[in-house]
Order: sequence, then structure tokens, then C-alpha cells
Amino acid sequence: MIHVKQLQKNYGNAHILRGIDCDIAESEVVCVIGPSGSGKSTFLRCLNGLEEASGGEILVDGVKVNDPTIDLNAMRAGVGMVFQRFNLFPHMSVLENLIMAPMQVKKMSRKDATLVAEKLLLKVGLLEKIDAFPNQLSGGQQQRVAIARALAMEPKVMLFDEPTSALDPELVGEVLTVMKALAGEGMTMVVVTHEMGFARDVSDRVFFIDQGVIMEQGPPQQVLGEPRNERTRDFLRKVLL
Amino acid sequence: MFSSFHWQIIEEYLPLFIEGTWMTLKAAVICVIAGTLLGLVLGVGRLAEARHGFYKYFLRYAVQLPVRFYVSFFRGTPLFVQILLIHFALMPLLINPSGGLIVSGDLAREIRSQYGAFLSAVLAISLNSGAYVSEIFRAGIQSIDRGQSEASRSLGMNYLQTLRKVVLPQAFRRMLPPLGNNAIAIVKDSSLASAIGLAELAYAARTVSGAYARYWEPYLTISLIYWGITLLLSAFVEHLEKRYGKGDAR
Repeated sequence: MIHVKQLQKNYGNAHILRGIDCDIAESEVVCVIGPSGSGKSTFLRCLNGLEEASGGEILVDGVKVNDPTIDLNAMRAGVGMVFQRFNLFPHMSVLENLIMAPMQVKKMSRKDATLVAEKLLLKVGLLEKIDAFPNQLSGGQQQRVAIARALAMEPKVMLFDEPTSALDPELVGEVLTVMKALAGEGMTMVVVTHEMGFARDVSDRVFFIDQGVIMEQGPPQQVLGEPRNERTRDFLRKVLL
Repeated sequence: MFSSFHWQIIEEYLPLFIEGTWMTLKAAVICVIAGTLLGLVLGVGRLAEARHGFYKYFLRYAVQLPVRFYVSFFRGTPLFVQILLIHFALMPLLINPSGGLIVSGDLAREIRSQYGAFLSAVLAISLNSGAYVSEIFRAGIQSIDRGQSEASRSLGMNYLQTLRKVVLPQAFRRMLPPLGNNAIAIVKDSSLASAIGLAELAYAARTVSGAYARYWEPYLTISLIYWGITLLLSAFVEHLEKRYGKGDAR
């Protein structure tokens, strides 16, 4: 589903990504961990072209993401993204947040889009908030709406950029539960996270990114349980303290 | 002092003041609408950029650069001079009975004598206000959190859809106060058009003061009228702010 080869990203003289190679299969759930500034968010944002790769090759569902001649918008419509700060549209109700892109991009009728939205809100447990505005919701509720908004485009891949990092601790669980259910349905997911419990329990593979490369990867038991790389061990010691 | 005021002068010239008020309002409304639309186009043009290829250079050199030049000129020169330049230099070139670039012949003569000053004033003030409004739009668009357009783009929405549905509705709320100030400035600046003979409020006062050599009464009268218009305008903008300020969490 996702194929990345020698992905490079520079900001001026700063080399954020120094050659990332990976393949992610359909229905696979990959958690990306690593210290802050390691490039893990940049890696994720390169996958849907929010950041432009400086070099290398990215294929998502057969589409060359960093080829300037492709229709980036059509490609993005099939790749959902969930952000750390939710980024719900504050001037729209929950329903409007969910139906805008299906109506604008897929030209769905309001009626059809609303049906999809209701189904998704039921799934994330927020159907009763359908007419609420984002600022009337808790952080956890906002993030669940944001997940539903991404799902409304019926993506083949979901990217999560530290989805629980901006949440109060007691609200983290409700978001992880929704993500876990999504993984259970066979969604292909790439999750940048600091939630080691989620990585251990839900992911098929864990990538440890540091200094712009994947230092270590493998099943969670191995990367989190018996890390071989000295840097992985060092990082896990700090976060699992 | 006030006992020596001759208010009957105003009464005598009342129709002139009423027509002047009407003309000021008419010109201001057209200028606010035209200036805002122009400002939107210029503001978006000022921010337009692309990542690759032809459009990258086209937007940079054929859109951004001319817009910057335009804004710089209209903000860097006096509106009064712009009005004179347009009325006495540009208009005779465009609309002229003998060989105007847009209109010529009898129609040109008719337009010039009937609407000449009005056209010039509205054109000059609209072009000028477009430059200021473009900066309001630019600041408003840039004030919206990047995450908003990133979220929209990640859903597959293109640049213009994102602008129209996500960025501008939010930016508009923040732009209301400066847009209101701009509208008020237009009402007041329209008085400059009296210099090219547009029969608006300031022209009415000039006419009356010229006829009687009295200055307090006519200029105080139009001051109060301008003040009344701008007060109403601020109240209207405040009402809009209250009405559209809802749902903005940040």
C-alpha cells in the first residue's frame, strides 16, 4: 500500500530525513516512535504531500506522491489525516465538518453525505453532538470528530500525527479506543505516537526513527521488548520511566 | 456667538445638501463594494504561489510582482493626486469625443458631461481602497492557523475550495473591524471629489460658502452629516461582528 525509498527532506541546510526506506502492506498498522525532532512527523506529512520530499520515491496506493505531474488533491482524497491539534473547522458544526469534503471533492449530495456522516458519528460515539460546534466539545471529542471527518472521505490509508499528544490524560483512552476499532476493521494506519501501550497492543510493526532514518523496525514485542539498537534502548528507557 | 448663526442659509440650500448626502452615499457604497472585491482579488493574488514549474514563475512574476507594485503605488501616493490624475489625465484618454480608447463620439461627450466627475471619483477611490483592502485580506488570510488549510488540503480540497470554504469565512470575521474602518475612510475621503466638481456633500458646503461668504454654518452642517453617516456605519459593523463572531474558538 505504501512504498518509500530513500526519502530525503531538507529545510535549507537542515537534513530532516536522510533516507527512509519502508514498505507498508494493506491493513497493516505501523506505529512510528522516536525522540522529538527526529523527523517522524515530517515523514508522515511527506506521505500525503503536505511536505514536499526533497528526494527519493513515495508510492501510496500506486500513486507517486512526489511526482509534480500527479493530481495531489485526488491522491489526498484517498489518504486520511488526523492532526495533533485536531484542526476542526471552528466556524462549522460537527455535521458540516464531516460533509464538506465529500460534497466539495466527491460531489456527493448533502443527503448522501449526511447519511455517511451520521454513520461515522455513531461509530465514534458522538451522534448526539452532530449539531454542536467544535468549541463546545472536549479535546477527546474533537479528535474523535476529526477521525470521523477523515473517514468520511472513505480513505484507504489513515495517517495519525500524534493524535493524543494535545489531550488531557483522562481523554486519551476514548481516542485510542476509536483507533483500535479502526485497526480491527483492517484500515491501513500509520501512527506517529508516544503511546507505547497502543504501539505494543495494536500495531503490527513499530518504526523507531531517529536522526532522519529508521534506526530499528520490527514487531512491537521485538522493538519495544528487546530493542537491539542502542539508541532505541536509550529512547525507551526515557519514555517508559 | 451662536446667535449670529444664520441657519436660514442652510434651509434655503436644503435640497443641495440632501442631494449632496445622496451623492456621497451613492459613491461610498459603490466604492466600498468595488474596493472590497478588488481587494479580495489583489489580496489572494499577493499570496498566490505554486511549488513547481510554469505556475511557480507565472504566479511569482506575472501575479505577485504586479500586485505588489500596484499596492505600493496606490498606498504611496495621495488619494487627492490620484483623483486628479484619473479625472484630468486618464479619463480624457479613455472617454473622449475624438478618439477615446474605450468610448468616443457623442456618447463620450454625454458621459463626460453627465457622469464625468462621478466616474472618475468612483474609479480613483475604488482603485485606492482596493490597495488597502488587499492588505486587510492578506493579513486576515495569513492570520488563520496553518492547520486549518492543512486539514482541508488533506481531505482532498483544492486551493480555491480551501480558500472559499475554510480560510475566508474565518478570516472575514477578523477582517470586519479593519474593513469597517476602511468603509468609514471611504465616506470621508469621498469629500476630495469636490475638487473635480462632484456634487457631493463637501461640494454643497463649498457652493453655499461661496455664495454667502459664510463658513460656520455650511461646514458645521456637513460635518454633522458625515459624523452621522460614520456613526451609523460603525454601529452596523459592530452588529455584524456580534452576529458572525460566533463559533470562532480561537
